[in-house]
Amino acid sequence: MRSSTIRTAPSHFARALQYISPGLIRCPRPCTVAKWLQSRSLTTATAQEAIPLRKHLKDEAKRKKADAKRDGNTASTKPGGDPRLEKWELTVGIEIHAELNTASKLFSSAPAEVLESDNGGTANSRVAMFDAALPGTQPQFQVATLLPALRAAIAFGCEVQRQSGWDRKHYFHWDQPNGYQITQFFQPFAKDGCLVLDASDGVPALDMQGADRLRIGIKQIQMEQDTAKTTNVGSSTYHVDLDRAGVPLIEIITLPHIHSPQTAAAVVRKVQAVLKSVDSCVIGMELGGLRADVNVSVRERGTSGVGSSYSGVSGLGQRTEIKNLSSFKAVEDAIIAERNRQITVLEAGGVIGGETRGWTLGATETTRLRGKEGEVDYRYMPDADLPPLVIGQDLVKHLASTLPTLPDELQQELQDEYNLSLKDAKTLIDLDSGDRLDFFLRTVQSVTAELGISRQAQIGKMVGNWVLHELGGLLTTHQRSWDDVRVTADELKDILVCLHRKQITTRVAKQLLADLFQRAPAPAARPSVEQLIETGNLRLRPLSEGVYRDLARRIMEESPEMVKAVREKGQKGKVMWFVGQMVRQGEEGTVEPEKAKAVIESLMGE
Amino acid sequence: MLCARLRWRVGSKFHCACQREHSTTLHQQNELNAVIHNGSAKDPSLSGALSGRTIAIKDNIATKDSPTTAASKALTGYTSPFDATVIKLLRQNGATISAKTNLDEFGMGSHSQHSHAGPVLSQHSRSGVPLSPGGSSGGSAVAVATGQCWAALGTDTGGSVRLPAAFMGTVGFKPSFGVVSRWGVIQYANSMDTVGILAGKVEDARRVFGCLDVFDGKDPTSLSASGLRIGVPLEYNIAGLAPAVRSAYMRTLGLMQDHGHSLHPVSLPTTRQALSAYYVLAPAEASSNLAKYDGIRYGYRTQGPDASPKSGLPLYARTRGEGFGEEVKRRILLGAYTLSSEAIDNYFIQAQKVRRLVQRDFDGVFTQLNPLLNSDITTGSGVREEQGVDVLLTPTAPTLPPTVEEVKRQSSVESYMNDVFTVPASLAGLPAISVPVKLSGGGDEMVEERDVQSVGVQLIGQFGDDQLVLHAAALLEQIDREV
Repeated sequence: MRSSTIRTAPSHFARALQYISPGLIRCPRPCTVAKWLQSRSLTTATAQEAIPLRKHLKDEAKRKKADAKRDGNTASTKPGGDPRLEKWELTVGIEIHAELNTASKLFSSAPAEVLESDNGGTANSRVAMFDAALPGTQPQFQVATLLPALRAAIAFGCEVQRQSGWDRKHYFHWDQPNGYQITQFFQPFAKDGCLVLDASDGVPALDMQGADRLRIGIKQIQMEQDTAKTTNVGSSTYHVDLDRAGVPLIEIITLPHIHSPQTAAAVVRKVQAVLKSVDSCVIGMELGGLRADVNVSVRERGTSGVGSSYSGVSGLGQRTEIKNLSSFKAVEDAIIAERNRQITVLEAGGVIGGETRGWTLGATETTRLRGKEGEVDYRYMPDADLPPLVIGQDLVKHLASTLPTLPDELQQELQDEYNLSLKDAKTLIDLDSGDRLDFFLRTVQSVTAELGISRQAQIGKMVGNWVLHELGGLLTTHQRSWDDVRVTADELKDILVCLHRKQITTRVAKQLLADLFQRAPAPAARPSVEQLIETGNLRLRPLSEGVYRDLARRIMEESPEMVKAVREKGQKGKVMWFVGQMVRQGEEGTVEPEKAKAVIESLMGE
Repeated sequence: MLCARLRWRVGSKFHCACQREHSTTLHQQNELNAVIHNGSAKDPSLSGALSGRTIAIKDNIATKDSPTTAASKALTGYTSPFDATVIKLLRQNGATISAKTNLDEFGMGSHSQHSHAGPVLSQHSRSGVPLSPGGSSGGSAVAVATGQCWAALGTDTGGSVRLPAAFMGTVGFKPSFGVVSRWGVIQYANSMDTVGILAGKVEDARRVFGCLDVFDGKDPTSLSASGLRIGVPLEYNIAGLAPAVRSAYMRTLGLMQDHGHSLHPVSLPTTRQALSAYYVLAPAEASSNLAKYDGIRYGYRTQGPDASPKSGLPLYARTRGEGFGEEVKRRILLGAYTLSSEAIDNYFIQAQKVRRLVQRDFDGVFTQLNPLLNSDITTGSGVREEQGVDVLLTPTAPTLPPTVEEVKRQSSVESYMNDVFTVPASLAGLPAISVPVKLSGGGDEMVEERDVQSVGVQLIGQFGDDQLVLHAAALLEQIDREV
């Protein structure tokens, strides 16, 4: 970056970057733009490899278990158990930045997402002239980006403002080409919403204070631009990728209504779930779609702290801000660490300074980034390039009436209409960005149609079991992710219909599923379920009562100790061992466990 | 002088449109330093309303076939990958973009002396010292006045087209804010930046404007030839008004009245505060708009590494320090201060309030309602007669052009004073035009032969009334010529 030679933009840059016609998504020319930027020593690198979602979820679960165990053993880390927490009360407010699911950037028609034709997303290939802050370029608000933002605001029950405005927030950084970020500082587009949580969201009982639900106020939601992506290469080289520069974000600011680290993590998790359900933000925290800043303060219970207040909530302790937390775990751990640090300082007679702190994963303490004296003065000013944003009630009403079902309503529906347990309902909603739920619903629909039954409740539980547990088990055994599942909803439907009609046994159904799971996906030839049953001779051939009794007697004679255990010691569970033996020893696909059980029980009783 | 290295090769063909008596030689033109980049060669085959016309472009308007530097070191060697919309429109109408003209760096100045390409000089002089050409579109005004082009585009943020027009004896028209596209115009203070037209005659300015006014269509505003109601703002009669300007202005008012137009005193009480408000708002916007010049993606970059990120400094402190001239740095610092959380309430917010009052003053005196306002908004303190006025007539600058030596001796604030009459229309976004009228030559002052022979007077109209302003200007020009 030392060259001071004359640098001239080639004319093809204009073509490559000319996203000026609204509503039209153009295909940029990655190579020429990348070359142009490279010629200005702006080298780029591919993005860091992201942690796969499933691995992340698994790690989370593991960690939760470990935490529970540790909390059980050591009183000091247990929220309710730390004696200091009886004296000190924690207060947290969160700012969540979420990338909106839009086709274009906020102020240019450059694509916000990698296009398929885009060669896998070459760095600096989705850059309009405004995104590169070329002299004489102006922002052009892309109206369509407003829709996912509005859906989010409606989902959180916010009051959508008829008029809001755009402001410039200034700071110098190479990830900010214009030298300012366009945001909504003075007049955000949505205000006064709330988020409702319950125990099933992970809120500790202590926080619920006996109520069923916990309400966390949302102060406001604003739209703003994302920054470019910086990758550190070596000690002093930075690669800048402007593809992310100008991508629309919403910032959701909660009120300081949160009083435990677990609740804070639950809030972020729930915000992510709600945003996903209304299609506002489809990229999870684990992939950088969401980032959170937390404001943490403590006060002695029953006092009003140092009298700080924030947006109508007063009597708080001095707060510090921890920036850029990129996982639920980081949110929880950073708050625990910062709470403990503040209590230690206060108990030693010290004073908390208003400062910005950082947190790295795996750390035990937050680190000071800058104090009040080092605060950046953002010199907010209204952006005169952009007219005020006026949103009509008709649009808000239309979006509200067509809003997809929210997670809480969905969960209730799965419990009530599909007869799923709370746990299964929640799992279905959370897994695989809703793909699993989609698969479930499609299967239920086709099974009910095929069987000609009217109520989904009858088979909802069965389908739920197969989608969550049978398919889930196969995923674990073969270490595959949901994206690699080759069984189609139609195939599962065929299996379950056969099972429901007692044309095959459960054991055979499981075999069929495992078989289809292993086969190459379409367009490779896949045998139908019917063909598999025929060729494998797997159809259930009902046996007479006599054949069942003969088989049962033979096994009982072979294992007199087991018979004794059931008859004399009353070990009823051993009955199932006999059922298993009968299924195994009978011809494939002939022995139905229920009938076998009845026969064994009656013979034992003789 | 840097102008020596900026060779401007020009053929005699550029002189055809010259209609001034004191046509200058090529050598003289080069010394004036009005042009800093060549444009394209004239192509007579182009057809359109501007066919065969050469138009020079202020160098803060993007062109893709010649560099665009805004006369700043920070944009050394930068060529825009795209044409500004106004350039596209000019080309579509058959015009030849003949040159890129010099200016105050990023448009910040009133005398075109703060340029990385060296100062611009007027062809006029007093006691052997060149006069100021006015700024910041000085290069464009000089190019028009010396016949180097038929017309020129400038930009007017607080008077930057009108003031040089007044000092160079050309017409300088600033349309309503937003009527002419700003796409490709390098921002200085983007809430006021307006592309303006410099031309020898109002008719020429109107013809160019007709091509650039893409939103307003081609419908001419019908207006009866007589009976313009002309407002005379009392607050513009300031003590600092130079006698030569005052007498030319008074004579013009009289002439207009003689030709059947009526004069009406009006009051615009916020005028006094307008200049201060402008010099708070414009630097504030400038400090924001110029934040992008970090030398990373284009433009000047310092030799050697510039502040390692580890030291906690931005990556480009030195690059920016070296890339900007003194006046630009002064305004960036000024703007950064007035926007700081400590000062914003006392400066930026107050200035915005003043700006609103200035706009209301204007809305209070014009017959036409401001089409941008809802009807339920009350008018401001502007005092008018029952009926209101069609246009306001004022001097463009309080003095004749000072010499460049006088400019050098002026403090920043003194040089800002030149903008006192042009700034209010900029704050309110109104169309305004500077038209040259003859010096009265009342005998009290002897004017040298080489000195400027005209005074600029300004017509201001209601927002959107651009055609009326041009029409009134044409009448005024005609009347002045007949005398």
